[in-house]
Amino acid sequence: MSAQISLAHYLTLGALLFLIGMFGALTRRNIIGILMSIELMFNAANINLAAFNHFLHPQGVAGQAVALFIIAVAAAEVVVGLALVLAIHRNTETVYVEEFSILKG
Amino acid sequence: MLEHVYLIPLIPLAASLLIIFLGSEGGHSRMPLLSILAMAWCLAQALGIFWQAACGHVHLPYQASWDWFSFPVDAGGKAFSYSMPIGVLIDGAAAVMLVVVTLVSSLVQIYSLSYMHGDPRFKRYYAFLSFFTASMLGLVVSNNLLVTFACWELVGVSSYLLIGFWFEKPGPVYASKKAFITTKLGDCGLYLALLFIFTKVGSFQITQIQDFVSRGYLAPMAATLIALGLLAGAVGKSAQWPLFIWLPDAMEGPTPVSALIHAATMVAAGIYLVAKCYFIYVASPLAMETVAWVGLITALLAATMAMVAYDIKRVLAFSTVSQLGFMMCALGVGGYTAGLFHLTTHAFFKALLFLGAGSVIHAVHSNDMRHMGGLSKKMPITFVTMFIGTYAIAGLWPSAGFYSKELILEKVYGHSPLMFAILLFAALLTAFYMFRLIFLTFLGSPRDTVKHHHADESPAVMTGPLLLLAFLSIVSGYLLERNHLFAHLVDYTFPEGMKPEGAHVNALFLNYGVSALVLGSIGLSWKLYGGQDFKLAESLKQKLSWLFNALEDRYGFDEIFLGLVSFSDKSARLAFWFDTAVVDQIFVDGWGLLTKIIAEISNLFDAMFIDRTVDGFGDLSVDVGSGLRSLISRGQVQEYLMYIAIAVSLFATLILSR
Repeated sequence: MSAQISLAHYLTLGALLFLIGMFGALTRRNIIGILMSIELMFNAANINLAAFNHFLHPQGVAGQAVALFIIAVAAAEVVVGLALVLAIHRNTETVYVEEFSILKG
Repeated sequence: MLEHVYLIPLIPLAASLLIIFLGSEGGHSRMPLLSILAMAWCLAQALGIFWQAACGHVHLPYQASWDWFSFPVDAGGKAFSYSMPIGVLIDGAAAVMLVVVTLVSSLVQIYSLSYMHGDPRFKRYYAFLSFFTASMLGLVVSNNLLVTFACWELVGVSSYLLIGFWFEKPGPVYASKKAFITTKLGDCGLYLALLFIFTKVGSFQITQIQDFVSRGYLAPMAATLIALGLLAGAVGKSAQWPLFIWLPDAMEGPTPVSALIHAATMVAAGIYLVAKCYFIYVASPLAMETVAWVGLITALLAATMAMVAYDIKRVLAFSTVSQLGFMMCALGVGGYTAGLFHLTTHAFFKALLFLGAGSVIHAVHSNDMRHMGGLSKKMPITFVTMFIGTYAIAGLWPSAGFYSKELILEKVYGHSPLMFAILLFAALLTAFYMFRLIFLTFLGSPRDTVKHHHADESPAVMTGPLLLLAFLSIVSGYLLERNHLFAHLVDYTFPEGMKPEGAHVNALFLNYGVSALVLGSIGLSWKLYGGQDFKLAESLKQKLSWLFNALEDRYGFDEIFLGLVSFSDKSARLAFWFDTAVVDQIFVDGWGLLTKIIAEISNLFDAMFIDRTVDGFGDLSVDVGSGLRSLISRGQVQEYLMYIAIAVSLFATLILSR
């Protein structure tokens, strides 16, 4: 028997990727790293969407379409994020997120 | 004539108002003529009514009523409008009283023209006199006990004003207050009686009350209470025992005023009220008996007190009290006609005696009989007229006093021989002290030569009224007794079975025996006071000094009443002290203080516990909030993210594990 790759495998992959992204977002000091980790979490979601589309609605393309939208949105978001990072870096000469706490209540 | 009887009180009232408000004040004011004119009108009208009544041209009692005021009543579930009438009721007694009051008042006013001439308040004096007479006339003609009561009080006010006319001096002021307050004491009873009557009968109209009583609707107990209340008022006004103390002091006023008070306007009101409400007394034998005994005690006590007085007006005042006692006693034993007859004749000779005394005082400027004596030659008219007055009050034939006193004694004998004996004794005392007055004043040798030298007969304005009154004192009794005119005019028809029956005293004894006794009494008086010196009287005074002292102290009645006054004064002070020291200090102020202390404690508790607790909760939330803020909201993005992650995973777990 050939080992079939099922929906559970994809979902597990997505979950692992999400957790890795989450771990990175929570633990990285560098704000660039945090942005990259967030990208990982986006892509974990994309994997899920693609997998659901493929296994649950094979004849439809809505899942892939949404995944494509998310890639576009993520790209735009990274553009905004990097612009903010640049602005912060210019003002504070730092990229470590724990030193940037002027939004505290 | 009779249909315009309401004018009789209104004309003097109008005159008094005009005199008060018009003209200028002064010793020579012309306004008194207006007052005399008004009184002359009233006298003419009163005489006309009397004449018509005596000839039987009009039918008495005459009554006329007008609506006075009305008020809504809600009694027994029925709402209606009660209208109070005002009106006149003229019966025989009222017709006689009208003549007496207007006649005496006219003569007093004419007499006062000379007596009061030159007084700085001459005009006001006449205004008061007119008002006094108007009040009394209103009392006489009213058919409504409420109006009677109002006039009764107006009489009291006028007497207060006139007794205290010379208010610069302390004596008149004291006397006027004494008269007013003492009579008010009696008026309390009268007022209660009136309230009682209205509660029981629902009307103040005398005819309606009489109807109510004669149908037997009034319980004997209620009749007794009402009668005693009315009697209390009459006792105050007519100076009966024990409220007679004001009358001897009331002579502090001008002497003509005393004549008016003693003869017509003031003291007659009490007797007249009892006569007017006689039907209530008839319904209550107990009240009748009380009236009789009050009159009897008064007659005797006052007569004894008059024996030792040296003030000429005081002797006359006591004699008035005593004679009023005779009238009261007569009314009490059922002698309605006798009492009112004596009231009429007494008015004439007592006015005469007082005006005569005024004439004497005017001449010698003293009230004290010890400073007089031998005035008969200096003042022949005054002497003769006063002698006639004394003769009349002693009750000797053919004077007016003879007829009225005989009638009273006969009635009293029929009721009780004991009362007859006491009253006869009082009558003998009357003769004694009245002739003592004549002997001391006019006979003997002058004791104060300076005063005697300056004494002179009074002018005709003063002696004229004296002569007229002297004439009336002689003939009025005979004229009124003739053909039973008075008895025919003034009679009370007792209900069946109520007519007082009793033994008839021997007419011969009444006519001759009593007269003989009176003559004996006069002889005794002559023996004691008729000579040049009073050795016998002085030695008697030495021997019986305790009796003389008791009599001069008026049995201590003044002291009793002064004691009562000072007792009430003291108790008022005590009550005042209790009020300020105990009620105010302890209860009112103390209560305030206690409230304040409790409030302070409450305030302290509020500040210490309640406010602290409230503040504490606020502080706690601030502390918790700031603690949480410094703990959680540190501006670390990753921490926020972690909270989100934890929260999402928690919710996810909750949702998935359902």
